[in-house]
Amino acid sequence: MISVTPTALSDSPNKLDLNNLSPEQVALNINNLNLHYGNKQALQNISMAIPKGQVTAFIGPSGCGKSTLLRCINRMNDLVDNCKITGEINLHGTNIYDKHVDVAELRRKVGMVFQRPNPFPKTIYENVIYGLRIMGENNRRVLDDAVEKSLRSAALWNEVKDRLHESALGLSGGQQQRLVIARAIAIQPEVLLLDEPTSALDPISTLTIEELINDLKKEFTVVIVTHNMQQAARVSDQTAFMYMGDLIEYSDTNTLFTTPMKKKTEDYITGRYG
Amino acid sequence: MDNLHMGRHISGQFNEDLERVINNVMHMGGLVEKQLSDALAAVGNNDEELAREVLNNDYQINAYEVSIDDECTRIIAKRQPAAGDLRLIMAIVKTIADLERIGDEAEKIAQVALESFSSKQQDLLLNLDNLGRKVLEFLQATLDAFTRMDVDTAINIHQTDDSINREYEALMRQLMTYMMEDPRSIPQIMTVIWSARALERIGDRSQNICEYIIYFVKGKVVRHTTAEDMKKLK
Repeated sequence: MISVTPTALSDSPNKLDLNNLSPEQVALNINNLNLHYGNKQALQNISMAIPKGQVTAFIGPSGCGKSTLLRCINRMNDLVDNCKITGEINLHGTNIYDKHVDVAELRRKVGMVFQRPNPFPKTIYENVIYGLRIMGENNRRVLDDAVEKSLRSAALWNEVKDRLHESALGLSGGQQQRLVIARAIAIQPEVLLLDEPTSALDPISTLTIEELINDLKKEFTVVIVTHNMQQAARVSDQTAFMYMGDLIEYSDTNTLFTTPMKKKTEDYITGRYG
Repeated sequence: MDNLHMGRHISGQFNEDLERVINNVMHMGGLVEKQLSDALAAVGNNDEELAREVLNNDYQINAYEVSIDDECTRIIAKRQPAAGDLRLIMAIVKTIADLERIGDEAEKIAQVALESFSSKQQDLLLNLDNLGRKVLEFLQATLDAFTRMDVDTAINIHQTDDSINREYEALMRQLMTYMMEDPRSIPQIMTVIWSARALERIGDRSQNICEYIIYFVKGKVVRHTTAEDMKKLK
């Protein structure tokens, strides 16, 4: 007789209790985060724990604050005029908004990939090691190893290994985006932020990147903002739904897409007028 | 169906697709209900012609099942429904499977009308008719609850299935006594047993449909749940 454990079939193996994570399970802890652009409040009292080694997706309509929240995680909003932030984002127990935090060091730990691939007008090889060079790494062997390892992790190695010294601008859009991911992971960050990484790509390249995201979470904590709800459903372990600067619902992806608790979430993911 | 907010999708086409599927399920339900009531009438009135009609009409139910299945597959492929929409589609796919089987059970019941019973055996048929009436009411209430997606009614109906089971067991005991008393009547009594069994199965399948209604509205899987736990859902 075959015996099965029903819970093992119905629950995702990665399901965590998001309200009761142990400190080792947490990569980022966001506490009462508020953000104002001038007089306009773009984020309202966001509190959430982002688990380590998993993919967390932010979804919501345009202007809901999901990209703003993502950009807070590596202080990209510091560059925006009139932007005022209160609250905390803790990485290893340190608030990244503390005065003594070195932003360059933070961004080394928290890498980011944008909507449009933005390779530098240099060779593929130079693109990947850009961050390492800035950090002062010049040992040829170390750099060669980093290039191969990063490109392999980004599922691009086999396609470019024979033309590492050609311009990165000759790659296709999907390849460029994977190159940018390789560049981001070459410096071994802890967290990888992806801001709509596939919105400028065709469906096949999109699937390649999604597959890659699934591999990346073995080494990194991934946070992704996406407009594509099916994508969030496919790649993420937990999903946060945001609306008008509020975090409406945050739960494991399987639950959120089948039995959301809040009506606003249901209306959004089923494409109804709210 | 108002509590479904079906008409509120931004995509008007999606609204239409879902409405069409739901309407088809209701038509199919109506047809199944008619098949069962015709089968029971055929047995009660010893109406061979009506019985043959029931046997001939089953193909329509099968056709509905195939076409609704097809539409649901298309909706899943094209719309990737989520949350309530997804639960609705899942509930429909399962409901029509049970409806189709109820149609098959109605066929089995109609077969009884094609047998000839001696006048002594007529009260056997009367008992079968009582059970049949109860099951028909049960099915009608279920389809009603489905139309309104009324979860409270679904829970109530779900719990009355026990009374059908009790009646079925009583009938069984009676039929066994008949067989022991008069072994020559065994072939006819076997037919009655098959159709009593069919009625009992219709009760179970209606109960399944109630479970799908609860799943759709509440998002809770209540299969294999105790009556006590189910009451808590209200």
